[in-house]
Amino acid sequence: MKDIFFDLSVRSVRLNFLRSLLASIGIVIGVVAISSMGMLGTNMQLMMEAQLTEGINTIVITPDSVMSQSGSSSSSSSDGITKSQLNDIRDAAGTNTVIPIHSTSSEFSIGSDDGRGRIYGLDPTDIKETMNVTEGSTLHGESDALVGSSIASMFDLKIGTRIKIGEPNVSVTRPVVRVVGILEETGMSSSNGISTDNAIVVSDDWYTKEFGDENLYDQVNVLLDDVNTLDAVEEAIDKKVNRNKDVVRISDSSSRITSVSSTLSSLTTFILAIGSISLLVAATSIFNVMMMSVSERVQEIGILLSIGTEPREVRRMFLYEAFILGLIGAVVGGFMSLIIGYTVVGAMIGSTDYFFLPESLIYVPAGMAIGMIVCILSGLYPAWRASNLDPIDALRAD
Amino acid sequence: MGTTPLIQLSDVTKTYHLESGDFTALNHVSLDIGENDFIAIMGPSGSGKSTIMNQLGILDVPTSGELYIAGRDVAKMTNLERTHMRRDIIGYIFQKFYLIPLLSAYENVEYPLILKYKQRDKTGKATDLLNAVGIDEEKSSHRPSQLSGGQQQRVAIARALVNDPRILLCDEPTGNLDRKTGTQIMDILIDLHEKGKTVILVTHDPKIAEYAHRTIQLEDGRIVES
Repeated sequence: MKDIFFDLSVRSVRLNFLRSLLASIGIVIGVVAISSMGMLGTNMQLMMEAQLTEGINTIVITPDSVMSQSGSSSSSSSDGITKSQLNDIRDAAGTNTVIPIHSTSSEFSIGSDDGRGRIYGLDPTDIKETMNVTEGSTLHGESDALVGSSIASMFDLKIGTRIKIGEPNVSVTRPVVRVVGILEETGMSSSNGISTDNAIVVSDDWYTKEFGDENLYDQVNVLLDDVNTLDAVEEAIDKKVNRNKDVVRISDSSSRITSVSSTLSSLTTFILAIGSISLLVAATSIFNVMMMSVSERVQEIGILLSIGTEPREVRRMFLYEAFILGLIGAVVGGFMSLIIGYTVVGAMIGSTDYFFLPESLIYVPAGMAIGMIVCILSGLYPAWRASNLDPIDALRAD
Repeated sequence: MGTTPLIQLSDVTKTYHLESGDFTALNHVSLDIGENDFIAIMGPSGSGKSTIMNQLGILDVPTSGELYIAGRDVAKMTNLERTHMRRDIIGYIFQKFYLIPLLSAYENVEYPLILKYKQRDKTGKATDLLNAVGIDEEKSSHRPSQLSGGQQQRVAIARALVNDPRILLCDEPTGNLDRKTGTQIMDILIDLHEKGKTVILVTHDPKIAEYAHRTIQLEDGRIVES
């Protein structure tokens, strides 16, 4: 059934086209603001979470940095995780993969260029578990090495480039490794305690041959098969290894994820609140337009009421009008939100990988719905006012 | 003949509270109007013509006294009941026509049917009535602003008749029309009276009042001559 009150509303909107259009633009802006702000926040959150959760199943064990009791005799070589502690960790970790890691900071030379970076020594099979090679292959020969993406681009490294490791010293021949692969960029958010972007990764055999410390590790990672066992495994390791005093520090990235997520979600709420201000402005303009519409049509309302139109029918007519303004605003706004949101997310986050996920796209219909609700709410009072006019007074108005 | 008149005013007073003090627009008015009466109400400005029309049109209720229309006490009805009474048993014809500007002539006539039956009209009644008052198909699609005064009043009469009201309230129906058009409109009203409608007419013009069977003269809110 075609409702005559809907027709009347459409005609009224058309009659005052420019005014209605301007009021709708307010809603468009409000919807766009809410949707794109919401999407921006969510995309940021999703990206950070994805980066952080990459290593969430990793427990990082490092030597407790408190110096050993014998003070003067302590050296860098004694500051590490010993073979027996490693065995304790393996016992406590059960079937989970345990990866002992050597690392040190060292100078190196590529041709005539000198640099400094981290050197990691790992068992070649463990490397596959923790790192991704984007170019070339993983370690095969003893003097093969993988390099981080930052070093690779800084020194323009290619597969096959040779790197001399150690301090440049004329009198000593420095050991040489050959680049066989370049590692994927990990960014700042390394959750497994290894930051390879500015590092050279070699086999543990090569590392201990050159740097010693065969039975002393700088870090041990435990890769969990099931992330839900995180607390249990950490507790087991703590009991076993730290039974007398704290000799190792056990950490993971879960607490970091929680705190970063909650920071980001309050940030999202904050920017949504800013977006909402524009809807408040839009509400005011819709309210204004509706009040104008009522006061311009007082006599018409008087005619409607005097010939037997029910007050609720008059109310409906004005709510339809608010609904139409809201619908136009919401549809145009929803469409523009997709375009503007995509642009803003791309420009500010640098990645639109998460844009089309439901968590992100939900802000478009949500923004549209909020825009429409705001519109109808703004129309409530004007509609109520129109329906409560006294027909005699309204008829007399001119 | 039925014993109860269609409209019965007993001792009706209407007082308006103004800042300058109370103003009594109707002062203890008693009046019976029977089925198929043709009544002219006359009187100078401010004599209470409009007030009594608002009472008869169920747009207002008496301050004191009793007003029965079609056997129902107007003061005791709810707002919604009064609205339905206005829609169903009264047809209004105003001096300024008061058509709905956003609707075409046809839709203006169809409108009360939609109010009553909550759906668009499929009976063709609106078209029939428009034809009967001399508005053709082409004119029916026009908005009121595109019609002459006489045409608008014809549309307004068709609108007033569409729900088969028992009472036609005409507030200076010819007041905005030239004499020739006014006569045509009066001919339509006389015809409707002959077909059984109760016609109540407010006018300044004694010539128009001559058409009525009974003339009521108002002065300062009282009936001075009946």
